[in-house]
Amino acid sequence: MYDFTETEEQKLMVKAVKEWCERHLTPERVREMDDKGHPYPKDIVEGLASLGVIMGTVPQEHGGLGLDWKTQALIAEVIGYYDPTVATAAGFMAVETGWGFTINRYCSEVVREKYVKPAIRGEKFVGIGATEPIGGSDVAGHRTTARKEGDYWILNGEKTFISGTEEAKLWGGGYWVNARTGPVIPEAPHRNITAFFVPIDAEGVEVIEPYRDAGRMAISTGGFVMKDVKIPDEYRLGEVGKGFYYTMEGFDNARLMIGASCAGATRRILDDAIPYIKERKVFGMPLAKYEAIQFELAELYMEMEALKLMVMKTAWMQDIRYKEEGLPVKVSEAKTFKPTEIAKWISMVKWKGPFLALKAAEKAMIWFGAAGYTKEYLFEAAWRGVMSYVVGAEGGQNIQKIVIGRELLGKEYVPYK
Amino acid sequence: MPRIIVCLKYAIDVSQIKVDSATRKLLIADAPRKISDFDKNALEEAVKIKVKHGGEVIALTATAENASTALREALAMGADKAIQIQDPNIQNADTMMVSNILAEAIRKIGSFDIILCGEASIDSYSGQVGPRLAEVLGIPAVTYVSKVTLEGNTLTVERSLEDCSEVIMVKTPVLLTVTKEINVPRVPTLMDIIKASKKEVLTWTLADIDVKGEKIATPSIKVVDVSAPKIERKRIKISGESPKEIAENLVKALIQEGVIGG
Repeated sequence: MYDFTETEEQKLMVKAVKEWCERHLTPERVREMDDKGHPYPKDIVEGLASLGVIMGTVPQEHGGLGLDWKTQALIAEVIGYYDPTVATAAGFMAVETGWGFTINRYCSEVVREKYVKPAIRGEKFVGIGATEPIGGSDVAGHRTTARKEGDYWILNGEKTFISGTEEAKLWGGGYWVNARTGPVIPEAPHRNITAFFVPIDAEGVEVIEPYRDAGRMAISTGGFVMKDVKIPDEYRLGEVGKGFYYTMEGFDNARLMIGASCAGATRRILDDAIPYIKERKVFGMPLAKYEAIQFELAELYMEMEALKLMVMKTAWMQDIRYKEEGLPVKVSEAKTFKPTEIAKWISMVKWKGPFLALKAAEKAMIWFGAAGYTKEYLFEAAWRGVMSYVVGAEGGQNIQKIVIGRELLGKEYVPYK
Repeated sequence: MPRIIVCLKYAIDVSQIKVDSATRKLLIADAPRKISDFDKNALEEAVKIKVKHGGEVIALTATAENASTALREALAMGADKAIQIQDPNIQNADTMMVSNILAEAIRKIGSFDIILCGEASIDSYSGQVGPRLAEVLGIPAVTYVSKVTLEGNTLTVERSLEDCSEVIMVKTPVLLTVTKEINVPRVPTLMDIIKASKKEVLTWTLADIDVKGEKIATPSIKVVDVSAPKIERKRIKISGESPKEIAENLVKALIQEGVIGG
């Protein structure tokens, strides 16, 4: 049964993360980070890592803290609150924590020691290289290939719109990359895909210049081309041919972090807006007294609380799943919840979070009028930042609806394989 | 190696007190509590001394409410032991009674070298408990300390006073009250919190430390009323013919109000 009571440990952890953010992710610093753009400031990453928030769910014997996902979600909410541009949440909650945890689950000891543990310490960057020039959401349709040569794999392909490429290049690190390792089976194209960990400095990896993003400026988005990249077999993640399934699990973890951080960003936007609408008078009355504004605030608040409940339920389901599957190695299918049932909740959270934070930022900007359109407030930066999740980071919004629809209607109603 | 006792007040978080706009009364019933800010400085200093010289840090509080979460935070920050004297009678205790209670608890704890307190609490801000406690225990007190250096059993401490600072040498056992300037309290890491959750927070009642009779009798100080000050804006409009004149008038007004020196 779910218990909403926060444990003493959770309360203290949330308090500690808040206190750290109060000191280091100040509005001025977040504004500076957004204005200056990537690479992400190393002092903040190292601070977050020292605190223990990056990949907190990784087991202690692998360098993490062994936190449950409920606690990690509470932490991600705080991170989203203090950096509502979501650069910090995107880089270090969704990507590093969501995907880093999943990499750690399937990687060899070599990858763990060389990349996962240093990333947990804030020294290196690990992430996900999913999207290709043909698109991001069609994971089974990606064209990167890998062929086995002795104890090595030779990878060829191109990855685009990848978070943190500049950081990985500067600090060292690498990416989860899926590659086709067998023929396309028309009725099951998701088979014969294998996951690898590709170091950013591997021979044959050419990192392209980061894109000129509209938002979450503090973390880079770039890409890389792989030309005959030779990867030892010990850099393979999990079993040959099962990369698609592992990828869905990685998306689950990353999307949960997105939902949680968007709940935090929404709360921040409301907290910043409320004093202003109470103070600012128009036609002799505070803005907050106008129903047009008060009702919008009430609706946003209700939706935010609903999102938080959804995040907590989803995190709770993930905790049960991992408890049943065992950490760090997946040993069996989950029992209490089918992975597809969890994926439905994950997709609901991923859909609702970014749209809600976007709406909150938009409404706050409108309440503030011209002032809301300036860089005096973080609303516009939050608006630009969370838009990255709306346009597709960690899975397009319509893909989330397909996942939800699949669970409601049955597999036969999935519009495409 | 010094044995250090840090006295922490489980104080009302004054930043979260709401005020009844009609009566100006403070609505403290629902206000959350936390370790008083200056006491956190005291704890940080104790942990710094321990890191440098070894020894032991014991966090101690006298509280009407259960302060175990706050004490757990103290353990996460580096305290080795945490003890709360919890009793509903402490709710209305004045500074003399709290000092007596803490003194009895310290006697029960046993030997110590240094007692650290904040200069005052964030809620009542009397600044009395530290010096009173030293008096009850019969040890010297040095207040408003902004720097501490320990060598052997001698402490060199800097006192920050309003218009000067004093440097004093004092031997242990001693009680120091510290200012906010002495350090920046650390934020415990999540691993520190995990480790702290495995440590025990001891709870003693007043009976456990043999406090009774006159020590918990009627407080000597009776708080008659507490209300929030009413701050009204003066609505002064600074005007002038030119930006220079406006600036000059603004400066004059600020000097007149005593905001800046003339």
